[in-house]
Formats: sequence, structure tokens, C-alpha cells
Amino acid sequence: MNLAVKWKITRIMLTSVYLFAGWMLFTGSLNPFSMVMGLFFSILTALLTYSLFIDEKEAERRGLVFNIHILVFYLLFLLFKMYASSFAVLYNVIRGNINPRVVHFRTRLKSDIARVILTNSITLTPGTITLSLDDDHLIVHWLEAKTTHSRYAGELIKGKMEKILKRIFV
Amino acid sequence: MTEWIVFAFLILGAVFNLMGLLGVLIFPDPYTRLQASSTCSTTSVMSVFIAAMIDSGISAVTGKILVITLFFFISSPVSAHIIALYAWKNEIIPWRRKGGQE
Repeated sequence: MNLAVKWKITRIMLTSVYLFAGWMLFTGSLNPFSMVMGLFFSILTALLTYSLFIDEKEAERRGLVFNIHILVFYLLFLLFKMYASSFAVLYNVIRGNINPRVVHFRTRLKSDIARVILTNSITLTPGTITLSLDDDHLIVHWLEAKTTHSRYAGELIKGKMEKILKRIFV
Repeated sequence: MTEWIVFAFLILGAVFNLMGLLGVLIFPDPYTRLQASSTCSTTSVMSVFIAAMIDSGISAVTGKILVITLFFFISSPVSAHIIALYAWKNEIIPWRRKGGQE
């Protein structure tokens, strides 16, 4: 059994595990018939669509199986940050005093999914929208720009989010 | 006590929604309008979801709302990003404050 086949089987199994977790969350019952049904259909769906869920080149060490307990903390942190910056945007809307600029910076994250999560978090936080993500280069539209210097702007926008994400996807 | 927290979150959601719409009317160009509307859509909808979660207590309904919230966490930024990317690819120049720092 060569490496490609092994990786294929791993991808199918991981996809079906994720799908089954989703099934359990939606049905919320421990009825054996429903569980067997869910298992069957998640394996069937995984067989059909594993190449869409997990790309063949996406084989980082912690890219797919990550530290879930830090991810929960990260979501709570994101919620807090969202409310904090949302009040800032509210204040700016009332005063009508905005200073929008486009800033460019780079990220140190390696895996694709971590980069996508970072981009999504930046867009989710009010006041910043990611215009483009090209490999590790981000272009961000910033509503209340304090600086246009690439490194400081990056530190102010992604700062702590990147540090936590680095610990999730090692 | 729980009712008051739910009330507070719902009112917060309404206020954010109103201010987001106000921002869409006030702001000068597509990017800043998108900022205002994404603020309105994320924070106000999230407040309503949190209110619903607190109201329903610990039950299966809360889990379902949690799943919807997670989907929202993924889908809302992606839609905002797609609109912004389209504007950026069409080379719409962002508005800039006169006399701001260079």
C-alpha cells in the first residue's frame, strides 16, 4: 500500500468523522437507528466529496486535526473583540469622523485553513475588511487607520488573533 | 434576571442595526458603506442569537442555534469579502479624508 492510497483513506475517514459530528449536533438524539443512518450517510457523502473537503496537497501536521480547546477560547475572544470594535465603529458613525485607508501586510501563518480563518476574523471584526488574500499577503481596508506602516498596521489589526491561531494550527 | 439580559441583548441588536443602516446612508464610498453594513449584519445578528440562546436555556434548541451561529461566523465575512474583492478588482479607488496623514 503506497502513500497516496493511505492519504486517500485518511481523507475519507476524516471527512466522515467531521460529517458525523455535524449529524450528531443537528439531530441531538442517541437513538441507535438514527446514529446508524447518520454513519452510513456520512461515509457515503465522504466517499463522494472527500476531494472537495480536504485538498490533496493539504497535509500539514496540525492542519486538519487541531487543538479544539484553544479554538473555543479563540471564538470567545473573537466575540469579545467584535463587540469592542463594534462600539468604536458606532462612535465613528455618530461623529461622522472617519479616516479610511488601505493597508498591506503579511502573515506568518503556514497552513491554508489558518490563513482563511485569520482573513475571516479580520473581516468579521467591524472596522476592517479584507480585500484580497494572495498566498501570505493581505490587503485590508481599515476604517479608522492609525498608521499605514505595514508592520505596525499588521500588528494592530491581526496582533493577538494570529498568536492564538498559531497555537491552534501548530 | 434572565429576561433582563435577553432584553438588553435584543435592544443592543436593534441599536447596532439602526446605526449600521445610518452608516450606509452617510458614508461616501462602497468600501466604507460595506464596513457599516457588515457591522450591522454581524454584531446585531450575533446579539439576537445570543439573546435567543440565553432565552432557551440548556436544551437541544441552544445547540442548533449554536450551529447556526457558527455558520453565520463563516458565511457573513465571506459575503462581505466577495463584495469588497469585486470592488477592488474593478479598481474602484477608496475614498480618502482630505488633509489626513500621508
